[in-house]
Amino acid sequence: MTTADQFNVHYLKKHYAKRQVLDEVAFSLQAGQTHLLSGDNGAGKTTLLRILAGLEKPDSIQIDLGMGPLNWRHVKKALQQHTLYLHQHPYMFDGTVNYNLGYAIDAKLTKRERQRQIDKALEWADLKQLSQAPAKSLSGGEKQRVSLARAWLKRPSILLLDEPTSNLDQESRHRTLSLLEAFKSNGTATLLASHDPMHFPSLIDQHLRLDQGKLIRIDDQNLIEFDQTHPNFRSTA
Amino acid sequence: MLERLPQPYTDHMDSLTTTTLAALELLFSGNSELWEIIAISFRVSGVAILVASPPALLVAFILAYYEFPGRRLLISINSTLLSVPAVVVGLTLFILLSRQGPLGEWKLLFTQTAMVLGQIALAFPILVAMGHSALQACDRRAWETARTLGATPLRALITIMREARFGLMAALLAAFGRIIAEVGASMMLGGNILHYTRNIPTAIALESSKGEFAQGIALGLVLLILAFTLNAFLQHFQGKGQPA
Repeated sequence: MTTADQFNVHYLKKHYAKRQVLDEVAFSLQAGQTHLLSGDNGAGKTTLLRILAGLEKPDSIQIDLGMGPLNWRHVKKALQQHTLYLHQHPYMFDGTVNYNLGYAIDAKLTKRERQRQIDKALEWADLKQLSQAPAKSLSGGEKQRVSLARAWLKRPSILLLDEPTSNLDQESRHRTLSLLEAFKSNGTATLLASHDPMHFPSLIDQHLRLDQGKLIRIDDQNLIEFDQTHPNFRSTA
Repeated sequence: MLERLPQPYTDHMDSLTTTTLAALELLFSGNSELWEIIAISFRVSGVAILVASPPALLVAFILAYYEFPGRRLLISINSTLLSVPAVVVGLTLFILLSRQGPLGEWKLLFTQTAMVLGQIALAFPILVAMGHSALQACDRRAWETARTLGATPLRALITIMREARFGLMAALLAAFGRIIAEVGASMMLGGNILHYTRNIPTAIALESSKGEFAQGIALGLVLLILAFTLNAFLQHFQGKGQPA
């Protein structure tokens, strides 16, 4: 978090060719809250998440670090320290579930300590029986749980999720949602991109919508502090 | 079948069979000169692959994962280098390393080091081209997942190499197969000196020109067995690299 429990982003701009995908977007994420980011296909949800993960360079961005203007290299480093991005279809490294979880643990720890942490993560995500299974052969729901368990081991301040429940059956969706609840109660700020808000009825504290490059707040729960003075901020509430 | 062929053909067949048998005997009797030539071949080509691989695979990674001006031109240049004959590579290095050449002071001509340099020049474009293909085929999410899980660029690079290991192994084997069998560069840069720079291909060329076919065929058999082994490994690794 850039302040104690708030992460502020301003002047986020990104264009592809002649299309302005993100147009001076500004928002704040609050610790322990889940923010839904909705929008039509191609609205820029994934782009926004990838920029926040430091995987894509924006045209401009400002995050509050109390250090004045910073160049992208510094911002990227800060973003990578605070955020963790999970792909829509999680990538599993070639190896067992155990190996995949171990990847998220500090390599300097002893083998025993690493395994202890892996075991805790396996238990947390109910993956114990799959610890020695080849991760690439898991079902979509199981891969999602492995990727959440990896994130749990990293304990990021901000979790960025791209359509985490798309293509999942109902049971897998429920399991994923309960793991996301656990992140929430641990104080992690979550930004969750989905084109279908109905998938997350109880989880969401704030609903944001991307429309033609602009960020629109759908409800008015005042759980996210927006830069409401900014000319590009609009509220439908 | 044989008796229906005209006399000269049967003579040649007999001669080939006799020579091959003599070659096998030479090979399995532990002829020291023959095995020394084989050892020089493996040593020179092994060192060349070991030296060429790290920078070549790094270039392959940069070409596969970064967009920068001139990237496509570099890929085209590398593809062109793939088809440069070994003897041209040998000639270029010969001019550079000869006494009057710009690198003449290094006194490397007709040494194993010069042969290694020639083989590096031959292996490099193969490693870059095949390494680039293997890394490009590797899912980009692998790199992103590694980075987002906190891996340093170096650790993420090692992870990508691990993910693409079957394709990269195929690149190493193909490059090794190419350089251990080339004759042009080794002949020009090594000078075919017995006990020092004579390797399998240059020895085959020499023995054949002297009419000593048995040793030539024995060495040819070693190359054939090596080619078969490398291809078997290549098939194995390429098969493993295919998505299930």
